[in-house]
Amino acid sequence: MRENVYDVFARKERGEPLRHIGYVDAMDAELARVYAWKTYDEERWFEMCVVPRKEIIPVNRTDGPFAANALGGGHE
Amino acid sequence: MSDDKQAPEMSEEARAALERLILGLADGKRLLGVRYSDWLLGAPSLESGIAMSSMCQDEWGHARLLYAMLKEFGVDPVRVEHERPAEEYGNPDSLDGPFSDWAGAVAAMLLMDGALTVALEAFGEGKFELARSRVPKMIAEEEFHHDLGAAWFRRFASSTEEARARLQAAATSELPRILAWLDPRDGPSQAMTEAGLMPPGEELHRRFADKVGPFLDLLGVDIASIEPDRSDWDEGRGRGPGAPDAEALERARGDRNRMLLVE
Repeated sequence: MRENVYDVFARKERGEPLRHIGYVDAMDAELARVYAWKTYDEERWFEMCVVPRKEIIPVNRTDGPFAANALGGGHE
Repeated sequence: MSDDKQAPEMSEEARAALERLILGLADGKRLLGVRYSDWLLGAPSLESGIAMSSMCQDEWGHARLLYAMLKEFGVDPVRVEHERPAEEYGNPDSLDGPFSDWAGAVAAMLLMDGALTVALEAFGEGKFELARSRVPKMIAEEEFHHDLGAAWFRRFASSTEEARARLQAAATSELPRILAWLDPRDGPSQAMTEAGLMPPGEELHRRFADKVGPFLDLLGVDIASIEPDRSDWDEGRGRGPGAPDAEALERARGDRNRMLLVE
């Protein structure tokens, strides 16, 4: 069973920016949302979201965790 | 609500039936927590183990709140939680032993946990004041239990023949007793309905079928074709004739840990 990485973003108050709080490995989005909620449940979150890491497009870096998704132009 | 009920205001028959319901729910949740805890390590991924850990804590927290309701009936919660023999436990039958494998755990997340939630939610809608105030938060926590079970259930259902067969075996072996537990068709169940504490068992059965039926369809199992198994029904406990195994009972009661308590 192949798992994908999902990055987890959350905020404690309405109006706060979402911030990256961690990641989970999951086979699909449905499992990713449950894993995220149950893994990062120490805080009382107002909002939490998960994003498939493969969908995050780097803008100015060609290294780091999102390098595999870099588009054709602007990188080495 | 002005007609909300407290235990002292009920008929003796309704009080006894309500006590049986609360014990069944509380023992069910305590045993379900024990069974989930078997999968903290050894689940298919670290994340699913963490989710099981969180669900154990939810179930034990709910059990504690439910046991505490028994004070209304003059029952000592310490004795109930820590000193009862196995044959006094009212947990649903399918929690008497460990899950067969991960497929068994997935089936239980959706079906056993789902049945407990259907009953608990209905209890929170009835006239027992403590349930009306305490149950909604528990139900909110249960939503993620259902979501985890549902996600894994769909995974298994669309996986290999062996995975489907294991899940189907686990699901169909649990269902007849779960359906009987929801709709026992006995005196205490009827007394609770007449007192406005719970809806009729048929209604609980219908709600449960609506909740899990679409998932069972994925395995080619029609829930309408499954007959409740009420054989050797123990009316006093609201369950079948068995009891939880000794190892689970020791953990549920906290026997070893209580030996360390200095009072």
